[in-house]
Amino acid sequence: MASTIIDPTVSSSGSTKKGRMPRAARSASLAGARVGLLENTKRNAADLLDDIGETLVRDFGAAELVRKTKKQFALPLTAEVLAELSESCDVVVVGVGDCGSCSAAAVADGIALERAGIPTAVICTEAFAATSQAMADLKGDPGFPYILTEHPVANLDARQLGDRAAQLVSEVVARLTTASVSAPRAADSALSVPA
Amino acid sequence: MTGVDTRPLDPAAATVVAEHLYANGWTDGLPALPATDETVERFLAETDRDPDDVVARHLALDRAVTVRDVAVHAIMAGCLPEYFPAVLTAWDALAADRAANGGGWQSTSGPAPLVIVNGPLRDRLDVNSGGGVLGPGFRANATIPRAIGLTVRNGFGIRPHGFEQATQGLPGRWTMGIAEAEEASPWEPFSVDGGLEAGDDAVSVMLLRTCEFVDNRHFTDPVQVLRDFADTIQRSGSWIFRHSCVGILMNPDHARVLAEAGMSKQDVREWLVAHSGKTEAELAAVGKGLSRLPDGPFPPDHFHPVFADASPKSLPIIVAGSPNAAMSMVFRVFGEWSGRSFPVR
Repeated sequence: MASTIIDPTVSSSGSTKKGRMPRAARSASLAGARVGLLENTKRNAADLLDDIGETLVRDFGAAELVRKTKKQFALPLTAEVLAELSESCDVVVVGVGDCGSCSAAAVADGIALERAGIPTAVICTEAFAATSQAMADLKGDPGFPYILTEHPVANLDARQLGDRAAQLVSEVVARLTTASVSAPRAADSALSVPA
Repeated sequence: MTGVDTRPLDPAAATVVAEHLYANGWTDGLPALPATDETVERFLAETDRDPDDVVARHLALDRAVTVRDVAVHAIMAGCLPEYFPAVLTAWDALAADRAANGGGWQSTSGPAPLVIVNGPLRDRLDVNSGGGVLGPGFRANATIPRAIGLTVRNGFGIRPHGFEQATQGLPGRWTMGIAEAEEASPWEPFSVDGGLEAGDDAVSVMLLRTCEFVDNRHFTDPVQVLRDFADTIQRSGSWIFRHSCVGILMNPDHARVLAEAGMSKQDVREWLVAHSGKTEAELAAVGKGLSRLPDGPFPPDHFHPVFADASPKSLPIIVAGSPNAAMSMVFRVFGEWSGRSFPVR
């Protein structure tokens, strides 16, 4: 009698499968919003988020910028930082996911913030689409609309960073509000997004 | 796995099983063995640990891997049951490794775990410490690190082109297992540097980014050998942070010559720490100047040492290989390692 071959991908510790993750409700605009900028210490991340944030204040009526640094870019947000962001921000821009671990972690952070009721715009680079998507799948939100920008970001100079920020702003606003939402990816249609 | 099995061999069935493991995406590209409840029990009998104890966690991916799970991966990697405590202890070491816990398995760097075995266990498991120590040809050397790789793949779900984003990877990922040639070394065992007693069965693990040989067999003065090590240690291509952890897999003949010159292992470390580095101008010439750091800017002739200090954590030295030619390996640690050796259990 042949023995059964064990599936090595199923842990004896029990399944870690998650249910569908809810997303945060959006407002129609950023007017008066406190915008969190969660940079992950990657080269140029803070400057890119700053450029985007300043545009959100200048052109979209955001009230203030709340700058936070995630020191361990590969790891999920700690409960403390998550709580701080939830209290001090109305929306959060996360970035830049431009490495194997930090891209996945950026998407995980976005999904965690959404679950806490904070709309997010997560910026990763195109080189890390696969790992960004893998984390969205793992976390139970396969249609999570992270933003992909051209790779690399790390060696852009100040002027190029400004240009990149200008390219990204409308997409960031679309992610953070109900205004002018761009076409969702196919997987998105399966998920009901709270209004 | 012990005792004589008199059943007829069925190569056709073996091929079907191997293809089944491939078809499910459970292997690293090489054939693997099937794990069954019976073989898992044989592995579990080799340890006192509770089969349900969690030995490895991946925080970002929310994965936990138990003793029983690691047995499955070790069987698939081709380990013998008696290797199992060494595999589990390798995970104890990785649990203390900041780089492994900080996204190392997903990294573009694609680092490879180097598993180092010390103590009498080396002979019981037949872990090679001599000629061809980095392989191939020895089952324990080859399969213990492979078991780690299969845990990362199947237990954590970190697969190439998915969560694993190695840019090029490196030769030796999942194949670098060695024993220290303690008998051929003039110095205390590496596991003593890692905090254990000489003679303890010990496993130490660090993630590597590469190995680079230093072939220096016609020296007339031990300092020539040290200068040659320093030149390889300080090369700019691998320079990414302020300081680096760089180790030496030292040929017994290099170790002998240095010891005969009166140098302890710590003396060797201190010499290399004092002499390995580049000036700000040399780093700036390759676009890696450090003047943007908070304590910069630096004058062009400012000397930046490679190492933060002369500890075994910054500069691990392990003696291994054949003394048939005085060749050693400089190896690059990914980030930093724990600096600790772990008792096998």
